[in-house]
Amino acid sequence: MHLHRLEKTWLKFGISMLAVFLIVLGVMAFSMGMKPPSEHHHTVDPTKVAETAPFDNPGLNQIGKNHYEAVMTAYAFGFEPAVPLEVPVGSKVDFIVTSSDVVHGFAIVGTNVNMMIVPGEVSHVTHTFDKPGEYLILCNEYCGTGHEFMAITIVVQ
Amino acid sequence: MPKPEDKKEEPALKGTFASVMLLGAFIILTWIGVFALFMARN
Repeated sequence: MHLHRLEKTWLKFGISMLAVFLIVLGVMAFSMGMKPPSEHHHTVDPTKVAETAPFDNPGLNQIGKNHYEAVMTAYAFGFEPAVPLEVPVGSKVDFIVTSSDVVHGFAIVGTNVNMMIVPGEVSHVTHTFDKPGEYLILCNEYCGTGHEFMAITIVVQ
Repeated sequence: MPKPEDKKEEPALKGTFASVMLLGAFIILTWIGVFALFMARN
C-alpha cells in the first residue's frame, strides 16, 4: 500500500497522541487507586440500611490527625446526617455513602468528587479540603420530584 | 507496461495536512485544558 509522505506524518502524529493520552490515563488511574465499580462489591441490603453498620450511625468520625470518615446515607430526598459537616482546613475525608432507596448522585461542587450512589452498593471517595469555605454536596442523578432539595454542605474552616 | 495508476502524480495533500494538524492542535489543547482543570480541583 502506498502512503503519501504527509499521510504517514499525520498517522504517526495521531497514533502517538492517542498513546500519550491513554498512558497518562492508565498511570493516573493506577496511581490514584481508581477501580471499576465491579471491584467494590461492598453490598448492603438497601431495605436494612438504617440497621446495618456503619450506616446505623451516620456522621463524621475522626480516624486520624486531619483524617475523617464521613458515613452517609442518600435517600429521597436528602442526605443523612442532615446537618452541615464541619472539618478543619487540610482535612482528608473518606466518604462512605450508600442509598436506602433509588439511585442518587454525590457531587461536591468545585471538586472532582462525583459518584453514583446505587442501592445495595457502598460508594467510596476521598477528598482533601485544602481551601476553607462552604462546599455544597448535591445529588446529581435525577431521583424524583424532590431531587432539587437534596443538598447539604461541608464547612471547611 | 506500467499500470495507469502508476502514472498518476502524487496528490497535493498540503492543505489536508494543515487541517489535520489544526484539528490535532485543537484536540491537544482541549485535552490539556480538561486535564489541568482535573488537577486543579483534585
